[in-house]
Amino acid sequence: MITVTLQYFAQLREQAGAGGERLTTTAGSLGDLYDELRARHGFSLPADALKVAVNTQFSDWGRPLCDGDTIVFIPPVAGG
Amino acid sequence: MSRFDLSGETVDIAALRASLQSSGSGGFCTFEGWVRDSNDGRDVDGLDYEAYDALARAEGERILQEAIARYGVDDVRCVHRVGQLHVGDLAVWIGVAAAHRDEAFRACRYVIDEIKHRLPIWKKEHYLDGDTAWVACTHEHEHARHDSPPAPFTPDYSRQTRLKEVGEAGQAKLGAARVLVIGAGGLGCPVLSYLAGAGVGTLGIIDGDRLEASNLHRQTMYDARDVGAFKARLAAKRIAALNPTVAVQTWTEPLHAGNATEVFAQFDLVVECTDDMGSRYLSNDAALLAGKPLILASVHQYEGQLQVVSARPGASCLRCLWPHEPAPGLAGSCAESGVLGPVPGVLGALQAAEALKILLDIPRQDDGVLLLYNLLDHTSQRLSIDPASGCAAHGGCVEVARRAMARAQNLSLSFNQLDDAIAAGFTLVDVREPREIALEPLDAPSRQCPSSQVGDRLAELAGDRVLLVCASGRRSDYAARVLREKGLGDVHSLAGGVNALKRSA
Repeated sequence: MITVTLQYFAQLREQAGAGGERLTTTAGSLGDLYDELRARHGFSLPADALKVAVNTQFSDWGRPLCDGDTIVFIPPVAGG
Repeated sequence: MSRFDLSGETVDIAALRASLQSSGSGGFCTFEGWVRDSNDGRDVDGLDYEAYDALARAEGERILQEAIARYGVDDVRCVHRVGQLHVGDLAVWIGVAAAHRDEAFRACRYVIDEIKHRLPIWKKEHYLDGDTAWVACTHEHEHARHDSPPAPFTPDYSRQTRLKEVGEAGQAKLGAARVLVIGAGGLGCPVLSYLAGAGVGTLGIIDGDRLEASNLHRQTMYDARDVGAFKARLAAKRIAALNPTVAVQTWTEPLHAGNATEVFAQFDLVVECTDDMGSRYLSNDAALLAGKPLILASVHQYEGQLQVVSARPGASCLRCLWPHEPAPGLAGSCAESGVLGPVPGVLGALQAAEALKILLDIPRQDDGVLLLYNLLDHTSQRLSIDPASGCAAHGGCVEVARRAMARAQNLSLSFNQLDDAIAAGFTLVDVREPREIALEPLDAPSRQCPSSQVGDRLAELAGDRVLLVCASGRRSDYAARVLREKGLGDVHSLAGGVNALKRSA
């Protein structure tokens, strides 16, 4: 089990009802983690519409999780 | 299009009035000048008007443009007669359409006063006693005073030229600079205000929307009485008041793939301030193809994003982050998600700061970075974009932009009624949601397929000449781009959607 810190932006923050959370997970990769979160929070956006960053670096969805990672999901936003 | 005309024929008032009619205009004011039967105590039989044609037309056009910029009216027309006229004939006709009566009256007054004063037109009066005399049309002695006379104004940029990075040399750079601002809303207001205040020589403003009351909590250049007027024109008027030395060009139609690169090429820098994802991707592609730096920002509720696309070789772009434009609705909007007024104010101020830094060559570190701001907890994140992980794998940003721009050519088509599209061989596909279609069905045979599903129903549409229809044109534009990317060639979108059909009806 790995514990990570999650941060949500824009629509994801709205749909999760929080700006972030700490989570203990068995997900193997960032992609698996997002699938898990999508099922839990009902996120409307598919992973391919998002960018994901780990410890302030943009990352690949296949990247394995490490204990203590700070993971940020970033959707494009359109308001002006 | 020329708004001013000189005419040797009787003026067709009905046609002029019709040309000014618009659903957004709530006030219409006309002035007519007639030939009178006396002047300075002498009985007049008729007169001849003679004009220095080219100069009168050019000056007349200028006066009408000034009236639009100064009073923010929707449109103005003026015809001045030349040739022989009799007592009672119409000599000059002016019509002004505006959101409200006040600016219509004031613009109308401005136009007739300026015409009397500035147009090179002379009249030869024929008197009942057989005599004639040339009389100047100008009324020098009673030149009208308008509410904001063009008093001489010398800008004072000392508070910024004192910065060693600016100085007089930097100020000269700003004065020579041309900046295009797309969207004059929540982001555009601070961008335009700061750039005009800083003395940027030329500002281009593109916005097809009219001001709504719901804009006023975040769009700080406008007044309650401006509701209903084109924002591009209101913004031009505000800039003329703020810094009259700034030259302003306005567009009241959004850009499209057919003209975006060409318009970008006329400017040094572009600031994207719309709330439209389609516009942001179009601006990204046009900036890369024209080789102009682009400053993108967008907001959602209490947060914002900022990205500078430098358009230099090897740098990253919007498509490096999110290769495909998200479907309308997925990316949210101020109307759907809500926004606190100062949020676009903060992001717009950041865009203005980036624009000035680029124009002044102040060292910057923000290219190739996505900046995230959260105004709830004052956190910001600076995420470096690795150019090798984005468009590089698909031929590079410029090549990706070139392909996207080529696919988007002649995407949206205008029709006054759907029967015309059917006569032109189109199969209509209504991409609205079933509940919208039930409320307002199309008055022509059509297939139905919600915009979010068109990509999955490619086979049904292949081989047909397809015209996609939605409420505003936004979803049908998006769906047409998706279908073209998947290889369908003859797919188009109805420009302006059902709303445009209703307007033309």
